[in-house]
Amino acid sequence: MEYEKIKDALLAEVDSGLKFANTLDQRADFELFLYYRSESNVEIKQGVVEATDGIVAGNAIRAAKDQRVSFSASSGIAPNQIRRSVHNAVASLKATSEKDTRFKGFCEPKPPGKEGKFAHEILDLTTDDLVKLSLQLIGDMTNVNGRVLAAVECQRSWGGFAIGNSLGLQQASTSAHNACSAYAMAIDGEERRTASEELVTREKALDVTGIGQKAAAKALSMLGTQKLNQTTKLPTLWVPWAAASYVLTSLQQSAQGQAVVEGVSPLRNRLGEEIAHSSFTLIDDGQDPLGISTEAIDAEGHPQGKAAIIQQGILKGFLFDSYYGRIAGKGSTGNCTRSGGPFGSRLPYEHAPSIFSKNLEVTAGTKSQEDLIASIDRRGLLITDIPIGIFHSTVATGEFSAVANSVFLIENGEKKYPLDPVSIAGNFYTGLKQLQGIGNDVEITSLFVTTPSLLIDGFSVTG
Amino acid sequence: MLDKLQAAVSLGERLGADFVEARFDDLTLRTLRRIKTRNDDTWKDIISKSRTGIGITCYFDGTPGYSFTASEKNTDIEETVNRAFRMAKAASTAASLKLSFDRRPRVKSRPTDTLAMKIHPQNKSQEFKMDLINRMVETAAYHGKEIENITGAYGEMYGQKIFTNSEESDINWEFLVVDLHCRVTSKTSTGDLVFASKRKAGSLGLETYKQKENTPEAIGKIAGEFAAEQLDAKACPAGKFPTLIDNDLTGVLAHESFGHLSEADYVTIGVSPLAGKIGKRLGTKHATIVDGGIPDVEKTGGLWLPFDDQGTPASMTTILDKGVLKHFLHNRGTAQKLVQKPTGNCRAIHFGFMPIPRMTNTFFTPGDLTEEEALEKLGTGVYAIQTAGGQVQGDGSFLFKANRGYWVENGHIQYPIREVALSGNILQLLQRVEGATRELELWGTYFGGCGKGGQHPLPTGLGGPKLLIRDVTFGGQA
Repeated sequence: MEYEKIKDALLAEVDSGLKFANTLDQRADFELFLYYRSESNVEIKQGVVEATDGIVAGNAIRAAKDQRVSFSASSGIAPNQIRRSVHNAVASLKATSEKDTRFKGFCEPKPPGKEGKFAHEILDLTTDDLVKLSLQLIGDMTNVNGRVLAAVECQRSWGGFAIGNSLGLQQASTSAHNACSAYAMAIDGEERRTASEELVTREKALDVTGIGQKAAAKALSMLGTQKLNQTTKLPTLWVPWAAASYVLTSLQQSAQGQAVVEGVSPLRNRLGEEIAHSSFTLIDDGQDPLGISTEAIDAEGHPQGKAAIIQQGILKGFLFDSYYGRIAGKGSTGNCTRSGGPFGSRLPYEHAPSIFSKNLEVTAGTKSQEDLIASIDRRGLLITDIPIGIFHSTVATGEFSAVANSVFLIENGEKKYPLDPVSIAGNFYTGLKQLQGIGNDVEITSLFVTTPSLLIDGFSVTG
Repeated sequence: MLDKLQAAVSLGERLGADFVEARFDDLTLRTLRRIKTRNDDTWKDIISKSRTGIGITCYFDGTPGYSFTASEKNTDIEETVNRAFRMAKAASTAASLKLSFDRRPRVKSRPTDTLAMKIHPQNKSQEFKMDLINRMVETAAYHGKEIENITGAYGEMYGQKIFTNSEESDINWEFLVVDLHCRVTSKTSTGDLVFASKRKAGSLGLETYKQKENTPEAIGKIAGEFAAEQLDAKACPAGKFPTLIDNDLTGVLAHESFGHLSEADYVTIGVSPLAGKIGKRLGTKHATIVDGGIPDVEKTGGLWLPFDDQGTPASMTTILDKGVLKHFLHNRGTAQKLVQKPTGNCRAIHFGFMPIPRMTNTFFTPGDLTEEEALEKLGTGVYAIQTAGGQVQGDGSFLFKANRGYWVENGHIQYPIREVALSGNILQLLQRVEGATRELELWGTYFGGCGKGGQHPLPTGLGGPKLLIRDVTFGGQA
């Protein structure tokens, strides 16, 4: 299917699928979601190439009657494949008497938001182009140092989705982006140090210049680690990629409407309170023209929007879909997803609607990363990659305990040498109040969090 | 469908592919989830899915190209073959390390390759499965205290997997995994949330949930009681202690921290620290790690995977034999490259992905200790139980959270401890394994699973005995 024809083609199938569903049960309400995406990616790991080019297509239906709700999904978007889901959803509905008393109906129709920008050249990227770009990345990495092991991936993705429901909503949205990543492993005897760099963009066709060199240089700079030999509390400077993991595993989860409604979020009763340093502002912008998750509508057809979560340290709001938005009395913020976000599935249509941020954005500060390092007048740590274990923190408390494997010592305002793995522990929310500085080095990351470096005091470190 | 796959193989060969594999999955998935909180009691998920699609791999000059489609129309399948061939040809120009493989004899499956179940989930209604959850949740509520949340979930995935290739293999078998899981979260008097969970999962018939130790009531009781026990649990001291890790945590250690290092794609390209170490001693004589798709499911549990997604029959591969590295986990190309036999480890999460070296059932083998003997040998330290997961890195370093545990002194359990992080490097840890208990327990999951190369969650089996290890690092708080 051509890119320009996706919306019309999917909307036509949505319309006929809903009509078919009505013939099976005229008293039930239905919501039909269709998904079509062309995905192409080339991976080269130390000379071994794996290349995939395929069409992801699928459908999902929700059926609701007397507050009973069922969900069924099938592969494909052909009429017989849609009917399979419809039959399953109706059968499932009949089989249960269990009610979801909080269910008040599907998403109300509203005018859509805007689709994001994208470079049309992305649509024209061929397999050969992706192979050439991957080879360029490899060449750039091995030119830095022949001993660096290299793994790279280049991908492009374009497609769209459409939604219709019994309330008369019928909307569709399309998008395209491309991305690359370079993963370097520097080896010296038994010592292995890794580093990665990435680029994810919809703004232009992939240009991988400089990315391979940066990844290789970073990995090499990690060789020759020394022990911290200290158990204490130190300031920690999280570069954008590491800071993104901090925001994702803390505020992304606790600002999520389901966690708020279900009572799991520690932020649930704190609207209007100062929960972070006054320099910290976080929004979720589903309409940022260059945001990777920007679409005209979310995964249930609500227009995507822009939601303030924290403004100058004050907790301003949470992220909702229509289900949890109604329970909370707030309405949807356009954050419905079907397995969205950085760890999303290749078959998103198989996932029931839930809530996820679209494009989380931490407002930039004024200091460069060097200025932030210089501002530490004692010992400190520079965390240059995602600490392992950070995603396994407890949402309810914000307590975390992780191990930074890519970490440098900062001493008297200068970056010194790489360290053996350092345990870092503390509380994410206490950390937000102990922000000592925010960088101006904003990066869009594949964690769908755009953030500068964050300097935080007070975490316990052991190494 | 087999004729469509055979036509696809022929087309790929006519286009110029050296070798073609074609597979078809027709899987049914079901998720039922009830969440009971202080204020609410909701069926959060009543979900059924049909996952049907075709995957084609064309090999050109030792390099694979992969494509997939959910359409069963001949024209769409032909286009899929074309795309796979184009990808292979383009990729071959960039490949400096080719993983070609020799032809092998045709493989033909037998009816016995599909496990026979007394009660197959497809023969039981949705109400029957919801009733399992209801019984489990109500029992958990009865045995728990200060409960904030009980989540009861049932999952099933089953269906046909058909495969053919340029060797005219004819493989047709049925995959099955079921999973009944209960998690109870309670709130302490100081407002902290604590939890405990219990599951019975694997390639099992629903008759399993009639067995005394696996009834929904038995599962709910354990989750409820241990969450209640956690209310009075203390924080685990930070430091290095002798540790007894339970069967669950042993399985995750075998899988996450060691199993991935033994996957031959990482070995072939030299990034695994196990590369070049066949025959080398990495651990004590108590450390034997096996991976294989055909465990004695009736006896030990686990996941039944008689063929991988490259059509290789499963085997039980001893990776680490009494501490000595013996074998890696292969696809056909890596096996040939490293001059080992194919192990049946080439798996894809679904038709949307190319199969890659993955684990099947990965476990430490049992030792000769009873639990009492293991605790006695432990002396003073930690008995760490279950894990909700953790993170690992390519050099073998890991961090896992044990869900709960006990502080042990002089071989006797003293008091329960809270969730705690264990960290270290598996290659160092293997040198400190001092014994294992004599039972073997495996499980395979529907909820959760293994992640690699964007393919998550792949159902895998894992487990082991309880393992006695000295000097395990706990906590990270200063």
